[in-house]
Amino acid sequence: MSKRVIIHPKEEAGGRKYWRSLGQLGDTPEFRGWLEREFPQGASELEGGDVSRRAFLRLMGASSALAGLSLAACRRPEKQLVPFTRGVEWSIPGKALFFATSMPTRKGFSPLIAQTHDGRPTKIEGNPLHPVSGGASGLYEQASILDLYDPDRAREFKHAGKAISAEAFEKSIDEIVAKAGDGSGLAFLLEESSSPSRERLRGEIAKKFPKAMWAVYEPVGNAAAATAAKATFGADVLAKADFSKANVILALDADFLGQDSATDDTRAYAKRRSVDGGNKMNRLYVVENRYTVTGGMADHRLRVPASQVGAFLLQLASELAVATGDVALKTVLGGAPKAAVKFSAEWVKECAVDLAAHKGASLVVVGERQRPAIQALGFAVNAALGNLGKTLGTVKVQAKPAASIAELAKALDDKTVKTLVIVGGNPAYNAPGDLDFAAKLKNATVIRVGTNEDETAPSATWHAPLAHYLEAWGDGRALDGSYVAVQPMILPLFGGWSELDVLAKFAGQPKPKGPELVQETFKQFTKTTDFATDWPKFLYYGFQPGSARDASAPTLNADAVAKLVAENLSLPAPDAESFEIVLTADSSIDDGRYANNGWLQEFPDPVSKLTWDNAAWISPKSATKLGVANGDVIEVSVNGAKIEIPALIVPGCADNSLTIALGYGRTAAGRVGSVAATTEKYVFGDAMVSGGFNAYPLTTSAEPYIRVGAKVRAVGRNYALAITQEHGSLEGRGGDLVREGTLKQYNENPKFAEKFGMDAHIPENRSLYSHPPLNDIHQWGMTVDLNACTGCGACMVACQAENNIPIVGKRQVLDGREMHWIRADRYFASGPNADGKYDQETDEPEMVSQPMMCQHCENAPCETVCPVNATVHSEDGLNVMAYNRCIGTRYCANNCPFKVRRFNFFDYNERQIKELRKWNLVSERGMEDTLKLSKNPNVTVRMRGVMEKCTFCVQRIQEAKIAGKAKGRDSADVRIPANSFTAACAQSCPSEAIVFGDISNPESNVSKVRSGPRAYELLKYLNVASRVLYLARVRNPNMKMPDAAKAAAYSQPKHPHGAHGAEPKHGGSQ
Amino acid sequence: MANIFPRSSNWIPLKLIVILAVLGGAVSSGMWYYFTPKYTRVGYAPVQPVPFSHKIHAGQLGMDCRYCHSFVETAAHSNIPTTQVCMNCHTQVQAANPKLAAVRESWQTGKPIQWIQIHKTPDYVYFNHAAHVNRGVSCVECHGRVDKMEVVEHAKSHSMDFCLTCHRNPETALRPVAEVTHLGWEPATKEGESVTEAQTRLGTELKAAWKINPPDKNCAGCHR
Repeated sequence: MSKRVIIHPKEEAGGRKYWRSLGQLGDTPEFRGWLEREFPQGASELEGGDVSRRAFLRLMGASSALAGLSLAACRRPEKQLVPFTRGVEWSIPGKALFFATSMPTRKGFSPLIAQTHDGRPTKIEGNPLHPVSGGASGLYEQASILDLYDPDRAREFKHAGKAISAEAFEKSIDEIVAKAGDGSGLAFLLEESSSPSRERLRGEIAKKFPKAMWAVYEPVGNAAAATAAKATFGADVLAKADFSKANVILALDADFLGQDSATDDTRAYAKRRSVDGGNKMNRLYVVENRYTVTGGMADHRLRVPASQVGAFLLQLASELAVATGDVALKTVLGGAPKAAVKFSAEWVKECAVDLAAHKGASLVVVGERQRPAIQALGFAVNAALGNLGKTLGTVKVQAKPAASIAELAKALDDKTVKTLVIVGGNPAYNAPGDLDFAAKLKNATVIRVGTNEDETAPSATWHAPLAHYLEAWGDGRALDGSYVAVQPMILPLFGGWSELDVLAKFAGQPKPKGPELVQETFKQFTKTTDFATDWPKFLYYGFQPGSARDASAPTLNADAVAKLVAENLSLPAPDAESFEIVLTADSSIDDGRYANNGWLQEFPDPVSKLTWDNAAWISPKSATKLGVANGDVIEVSVNGAKIEIPALIVPGCADNSLTIALGYGRTAAGRVGSVAATTEKYVFGDAMVSGGFNAYPLTTSAEPYIRVGAKVRAVGRNYALAITQEHGSLEGRGGDLVREGTLKQYNENPKFAEKFGMDAHIPENRSLYSHPPLNDIHQWGMTVDLNACTGCGACMVACQAENNIPIVGKRQVLDGREMHWIRADRYFASGPNADGKYDQETDEPEMVSQPMMCQHCENAPCETVCPVNATVHSEDGLNVMAYNRCIGTRYCANNCPFKVRRFNFFDYNERQIKELRKWNLVSERGMEDTLKLSKNPNVTVRMRGVMEKCTFCVQRIQEAKIAGKAKGRDSADVRIPANSFTAACAQSCPSEAIVFGDISNPESNVSKVRSGPRAYELLKYLNVASRVLYLARVRNPNMKMPDAAKAAAYSQPKHPHGAHGAEPKHGGSQ
Repeated sequence: MANIFPRSSNWIPLKLIVILAVLGGAVSSGMWYYFTPKYTRVGYAPVQPVPFSHKIHAGQLGMDCRYCHSFVETAAHSNIPTTQVCMNCHTQVQAANPKLAAVRESWQTGKPIQWIQIHKTPDYVYFNHAAHVNRGVSCVECHGRVDKMEVVEHAKSHSMDFCLTCHRNPETALRPVAEVTHLGWEPATKEGESVTEAQTRLGTELKAAWKINPPDKNCAGCHR
């Protein structure tokens, strides 16, 4: 037998390419470096830093000699076992407890289950009983656990910068309340919340202080949506789309699967996206200025500057007015201004025809940050399509008229406000740039209750720590309007007050000691006659069943919409010289509130894969025009406001459109999120600077999100951006890794993905190595449905929380050392230009996301190269890692074709990021106490020099196995019931793309999914027999659309080895 | 000049090397053998803050282990009883015994008793009591005859070798689940059969009947 050399198949010329970065498309040396090596050249050396390798060895020699001299470790240290004095109800040492609670977000409360170990919450999951969550949860819910344990949280009550006692603070509040009279001169500034208890307290405060001002501010809110809905439907409502009924969806600058997503929407969309089980697959059109997660899921996508979305909708509405003959829509359009720009007539027309063909089952969603007139026009279009009450309903919201931050700023300016109570928020940092709010805060005495001593804290005369939601009693309303509970899991770590505590004091009540305040609201809300039964039930379920507000069928007020459109629809003419600026919440740190959360800072953006910073996203064409490359700093100025920020070239951006995420450039976020202490002097080019750039100066209270007429110029400096898009690049043709087809292809041959590329040529494979038998009664496996996966990344953070995965800091990310066990690989896909080249096409690529984790290969290449058997196979099909055996050769990582192994180059858990490169004995060692509390006690906290990777959540597997044994006792019935537990990533996934379970049990979900026709194995020709199967993605293009040929994702023919489908002669042996 | 050193001193370096090598070898192999849990742990019997006698409670009075270690069948840890559990009886029995002063004080002040830990698995080992006691592995296999100990001591080595010996040959330790907390239990012997043989016979039967399959090569069974 001759030696067989595996040559990874080359991508064929002229076909469709799947690429991770423009660098890959251009095959740059940097990209080759990432492809061929696990880590870039030199990354594994102890370069830089304070100590040379030689000095290091010398010092190490000395220190080991010293260690030999001291024999302190001869006696075993005496340790104490400390039981409770009195038993605690429900508590079993070592067993986790689960409580229902919910997390406040600006849109609504997210129903959750918190896992606690010995009284400390360690993991958050969605509440499976609640229809909005359905057991899934998002990025922020998962990461909120780290916020609780953030060592940089405000720890002290302060007056004029000096620490005071909590009692002294309370007394001061009492005095202020006593002196406040009728409330003139008193103002409150809070964040958006749907808490009924807060509303109740607000009513009491209004009674006590009728002249007090009540302001609510969210830097990224849905005020425009509320205005539009009120004008259109004549009531205090918010539109609620029902994606489960929509066959054709048009999203206009609406990231309903990403930024603006709700778990139930994502799940409903993903269900309708399915091609299995006789579902009629939906179709998604997306019009947006930059790639979003939603755009990545689109069947047809049009790049349009965000400021032109109104013009696009107008053109579409005109087409629809003709197609549907709807009178109301014609009325609305009658008074509309004329748009200066025309979009591809064919695109708009065919889209309109498709929508009209699905009357009552189509849906047009307009982004919440578009102006009210545009959103109202969107409602009118939905009405014309007969969607109201079918795919688009409304949910009543409580009218909570509050002053805006602009009104508050004016009052501060006029000095009519003398005492300002700020609870939460961070207005000194995130108020619109034109208000100069931080300066105006000096005009009042400020009482601040805040999570961190942040940018707003220095303006505060009194500052108190704010309790985290896992530390406080509360209540709220979920997105469907249902009444949910907020239960504390732990006493406030730093004695913080909750928002309700503060407001109760101002309402003249004592500071609540327990749930009494919420109980009172509960009684009023539910009108319960049996409180003793209903209250514990409420806490047990986490919500009040039947309290959801049903979406009602709204009626359109066409005249009001016509008036709004005629008066307020602004259609700025495009200008080839100037840029528009789109300011969005960040995909990881939101509006800046999570800036000090390391998990989120290190979370790569789903599209750009940028970590630790924000940047101005720019299209390749605009970048060429400006002459900037990735990381080149540009100056962006609009109407006198000016910021400097590095440019980031992202394919799929509209030309002359910059997208900048808010929330970065914090100066007082804490050790993780702050940039250098002096804001004026960023050390450009120094990789150690992270924290990004503050874009709030560009916002105004009138135009918070989209600004036109910006001037942009390169300033001639470069700033290192830590982008992970090329990290872990896999050999092989992209199209083999991410398999796609169209619905037509799928209908013709459901197994279309079975034999792509090399898979058709696999000869009979045998392993050279013998493997232990896989003879356990359970066999673990996973599937990932690429059709459902949006790339949101909730799985990444869920994994991080479950498995004690450390963050490594920007410098280490630049070196490719991020530790995520699961990563979301994002591929762009495009075909060649007319000239056969790929470079210019990059503005119109498609996007696919592929979660990648240890594939648990049955013939694992990593196991055969480990010299110490630290990674071996278990009988139940796991590729297990014994940390205490690992000596850190990293051979396994080198031999992993999927590049999923992660190495602890430094003591990430025991040392702070800035201490990593210091020599062992002089760097500060030890984990912050609060962070110790956050760790999962069932997973080892790994040390330096140890390899790690996805374990399929082996701690959960073992727990389930042991539970089965404990239940089976003296019988042979120890099998784990199908689907009784799952891995952390699968549990959090809002679109249910990841399925985990026992593949030897035919009843399990994973067995059913695996046997489906779309399942395929990655790099099958390597004969690794992986336990993770992917399900090919199916796109559903409208063949009449001008870009349909392109959208027919997978390029069929051209290359003779393309998709043979079921062609037997080429089939090879399986 | 006369030679200061006699001729025989030429051998000194070689002798030194040989002596050092032998000594070094002896020290190394001594440490290799004796600095193991079998010698360093076994017999460890620290003085506890309360002179609690397992011999009286578990042996003489015949109390079941699970009266105090109540969660051993449900949790990974076998819990140390709360002061409350002691006081269940000792408000009535021996209520004024000076040996129980620390317990009464704890009960009155609410401050827990600080027991000294004897059996300690390393942080990277995830031992689970429930998985063992529910499947016919008796307490005595790892803790020895606690019912005979006036002061509890570390009876077995608890080294990885100790664990694996049993994981590879579970039949040596299996007994009917009902007998798990009866530390003095012995299998019924047939005629001419030793206790060990009887145990192996019974253990083999139970192993097959209950599908006992402890992780012996699966690292993740204990390390995760």
